[in-house]
Amino acid sequence: MPRKSDAAKMDEVGIEIDGEVSDSDDGVAQRRNNRRQAAGRGGAKGRGRGKKPASDDEDEADEEEDEAPRGRRGANKKKPAKKRGDDDDDDSEDEAPKRKRGGAANKKKGGKAQDSDEEDSDAPKGKKGRGGKGGKKGEKEEEETKGKKGDAKGKDKGKDKDDDKDKKKKKKKDDSSSDSSSNSDEEEESMSEGEMARLMEEVEEKKKLIANIRNKPWRMKRRLTHLKEAQAFVDKFEGALGKGKGRKWYAYKVMMTKKWIKFQRDFENFRTACIPWERKIKEVESHFGSSVASYFIFLRWMYGMNLVLFGFTFGLVVIPEVLMGLPYGSIPRKTVPREEQDTAQDYSVLMDFNGYCKYSVLFYGFYNNERTIGLLKFRLPLSYLMVGIGTFGYSLMLVIRTMAKNADVGGGDGEEGEFTFAWKMFTSWDYLIGNAETADNKYASITTSFKESIVDEQENQKDENIHLRRFLRVLANFLITCSLGGSGYLIYFVVKRSQEFATRDDLSWYEKNELEIIMSLLGLVCPPLFETIAELEDYHPRIGLKWQLGRIFALFLGNLYTFLFALFDEVNTKLEEEQAIKNASIYAMKEYYANYSRLMNDSEATPPPMDPADVIRGPCWETAVGIEFVKLTVSDIQVSYLTILIGDFARAVIVRFLNYCWCWDLEAGFPSYGEFDISGNVLGLVFNQGMIWMGAFYAPGLVGINVLRLLSSMYYQCWAVMATNVPHERVFKASKSNNFYMGLLLLVLFLSLLPVVYTIMTLPPSFDCGPFSGKSKMFDVVMETIDLDLPAFMGTLFSYAANPGLIIPAVLLMVLAIYYLNSVSEAYKNSNMELKKKMQMARDEEKNRRNNTDSTNQVMKDLEDLLPNRSLAPPPEPEKPPEPEPKPTKTKPGAAGKGVDLQKDVALASPNPNARGPVSRAPGPRGQGPGPRPGPGPGPGRGRGRGPPPR
Amino acid sequence: MGSRASTLLREEEIEEIKKETGFSHSQITRLYSRFTSLDKGENGTLSREDFQRIPELAINPLGDRIINAFFPEGEDQVNFRGFMRTLAHFRPIEDNEKSRNPTASEPLNSRTNKLLFAFRLYDLDRDDKISRDELLQVLRMMVGVNISDEQLGSIADRTIQEADTNGDSSISFNEFIKVLEKVDVEQKMSIRFLH
Repeated sequence: MPRKSDAAKMDEVGIEIDGEVSDSDDGVAQRRNNRRQAAGRGGAKGRGRGKKPASDDEDEADEEEDEAPRGRRGANKKKPAKKRGDDDDDDSEDEAPKRKRGGAANKKKGGKAQDSDEEDSDAPKGKKGRGGKGGKKGEKEEEETKGKKGDAKGKDKGKDKDDDKDKKKKKKKDDSSSDSSSNSDEEEESMSEGEMARLMEEVEEKKKLIANIRNKPWRMKRRLTHLKEAQAFVDKFEGALGKGKGRKWYAYKVMMTKKWIKFQRDFENFRTACIPWERKIKEVESHFGSSVASYFIFLRWMYGMNLVLFGFTFGLVVIPEVLMGLPYGSIPRKTVPREEQDTAQDYSVLMDFNGYCKYSVLFYGFYNNERTIGLLKFRLPLSYLMVGIGTFGYSLMLVIRTMAKNADVGGGDGEEGEFTFAWKMFTSWDYLIGNAETADNKYASITTSFKESIVDEQENQKDENIHLRRFLRVLANFLITCSLGGSGYLIYFVVKRSQEFATRDDLSWYEKNELEIIMSLLGLVCPPLFETIAELEDYHPRIGLKWQLGRIFALFLGNLYTFLFALFDEVNTKLEEEQAIKNASIYAMKEYYANYSRLMNDSEATPPPMDPADVIRGPCWETAVGIEFVKLTVSDIQVSYLTILIGDFARAVIVRFLNYCWCWDLEAGFPSYGEFDISGNVLGLVFNQGMIWMGAFYAPGLVGINVLRLLSSMYYQCWAVMATNVPHERVFKASKSNNFYMGLLLLVLFLSLLPVVYTIMTLPPSFDCGPFSGKSKMFDVVMETIDLDLPAFMGTLFSYAANPGLIIPAVLLMVLAIYYLNSVSEAYKNSNMELKKKMQMARDEEKNRRNNTDSTNQVMKDLEDLLPNRSLAPPPEPEKPPEPEPKPTKTKPGAAGKGVDLQKDVALASPNPNARGPVSRAPGPRGQGPGPRPGPGPGPGRGRGRGPPPR
Repeated sequence: MGSRASTLLREEEIEEIKKETGFSHSQITRLYSRFTSLDKGENGTLSREDFQRIPELAINPLGDRIINAFFPEGEDQVNFRGFMRTLAHFRPIEDNEKSRNPTASEPLNSRTNKLLFAFRLYDLDRDDKISRDELLQVLRMMVGVNISDEQLGSIADRTIQEADTNGDSSISFNEFIKVLEKVDVEQKMSIRFLH
């Protein structure tokens, strides 16, 4: 059925085009027209065809007369024409089955007939044969050089003759297309009929335009652009209708575009699905609000970062050592000493990361100081140092980059509190939800978002007694500073005392553990204390959270300080001890050899190497530090998991089930369910990460442990928060960027960077363990590489670079750059603010103007009723019409009177609808001069004044 | 195209629907088969019960509103034409449609009509105004029992206060349009129908 209509349309259009063309090239076209119709229908083959050669002949003649270059082309065409004959045969063979399938028997006949006709006319006639070929050439050319033609047309379209020629071509194209129209049915399968019909209509429209563009009363430029557009369109879409050579290509293109779009969509879905834990976090967010979700997003981010660190550490340090380094037990540093071997596998020892754990790949001491290992000549010590420094480099870069990106997002779309509730009201429900669980989540999330807005709104509205609030805030800060200072002093005091205790032996249990006890007491008491004091301040919870975080952070810094203090003490004693042991071990070694030669009475014989387990070894302070960090991390994991299990889960279970048989309402009353402690969790995460950064250099395995911890705590905490916690009383909207968390992290990163870099740069590494043993400083390994592996000039280059004369200017330059960039960004910020203000102003203006049009419309209507000339009545749309309407009325009198001044008034006044009143009366006395004038200037101002009337 | 056999629609009907709604032929036939599969009474019309049998609508708290939107005022049956007319609101606006004959009457999927459809979801009594009570009802549907009545009331008040410009403490269609001025309704209220 569609096919039928296609064919019908095609014929119609053909006629139409010819009709147009016949103006210029009368008789010929007429005849051609006949022929085409005949061929198209395929009914009257022979007779209609018989005319063709003649007409073509004339065409050809015309063309040759028309232009010389044509001849050149004609010569080229000979060949294609020949080919065309073959092609035609091929085509008809190809198409035959299709047509049969389509059941268009008559068309097939037509096609065949045409072909045979052409061959007939080819054979007998000499001159005419040429003409016939020419005609076919024309067709052929249409088929093959449609693209080219477009260009050619574009080039010489200015000339009428060429135009003629083009039109002829057009006709011919129609010829050829009519016989290939039968192919279009296979196309239809890939496109819907609706599309088909629409496209066809448009293509025909454009073709019509191309055909009669010459008759349009347009300027040449406009004609050109239109023609170009139309041609481009026809070229692009003709294939869709099964015409021209673009047919298959078009079908292919359509298919590929569809596939591509689908692929993109799928890919997008896939990418979203690939964001880990997105669903989990969204679920949490929908029930607990964005503030709790922000913690989980932060956790996920940390996991990502740690995964990269893990990849570096394991890929470049641990795995190479395991695969290519010496195995366990081959050298002393890789062997458990004899005296520890009995207990080395005890559970308690292993839990303390001693025994086999201590002499494993997890810790610094296990690594050998061979410059290169394995067949690959992998420079392990260098790689170890680089990874250690790279960890910090990467983390710094990532944190800063994320912060910068978040700051970018922060600016975002300025909703500016316009219609917050209305938008939430009208747009928050997702009507496409088709899943009960999603609907539940949506419920929760809408509720939470409403609550968040309510909190924000409450915060905005209260502004009573600012002085009291200020006073309270100062007081609160004072109290907190006092308690922070107090706890700081307490920590300092306790650390001093513990140093004192360290020298004594007669200690009670309390005295031994005083530091830990005080620290955990502080950690237990202070945060709730701060929270209570913060009540005084009465901040918005979002800001309150930041303050709380900052304060607890300050408290925890004390924790860090004591820890580091103890650690450095330990390291220093170990270093002293080491010196003694180093001498002892050398002495022991000598003694061993001496004993051996004495026992064997043979000074020449080389003694068998000492059992690595028996070698006296140093304390290896690096491993000790590493163990300390690992222990701390593991105990931190245990504590936090147990806290969740007991503090949240057990409490929830008790509250839930004991509530059935209890004297008061447990759920609503005292214990109730726990709230998710955002500040505690965030800080825990941040400090834990600090431990990882500090410890990763001394215990490469620590990163792996941390990755496991983050992974498990993601699932565990997600479960815990959904199962045991209740949403905060005041759910608040977290800022989209986690920049405050990031800032804390950056601070911790910096703090943990200091001790590690200090140890790398100044402390001598242990003499008998770790990848840097035997060197006086750890970074000597870099010097060594520069000296041995790089060409000599690099060494000199580096020595120049290390020259203070170069470093100081470099630092200066950097400072200058920072200063410059900072001021530039400040300037940008300012201009940003300006623009925002401007936008707001423009919006207000527009709003007012709209209001005004509404209000004036009524007046206008009345006025129009009075006007005799109805044609002046403005169209219903309020915005645009005023502009064109008043102009003509106004300019006329303007032209009559003093032109310029008035003209100006009109131009300025017309955008302002208010001015319309006076304007339409303008033909009257000229006294109205000042009338319109105020209109333009204070437009917005007046608008504001006019706003209320509609009420 | 072989599936045409199952179509009980007459060609001219399809043509009319095509003209009215802008759906393509195959979209219409496809939606018709969906229509007939929903039509359990097999009388060529859908009742509210037919819609409520769709699980996605059943679990949707605002499902009733959506179903309501299919029925013209005061009727509880909708035929295929009406069904298509409602769905046409969600047809995406295509690029070439924007420019084409602006003089013709607005298509059903224009921005204004989309907004009008959304407006009707809230305007229960069809008096072309969203009153506070109507807002409250919808709010209750949207948040369940999680928010107290007075808070909901203040949300509704606040919404009206934000949107209301002419002081009649209800939201007219014009005000509704103004509120959603910056919302990408054309995109949000569009569903991809299979071609």
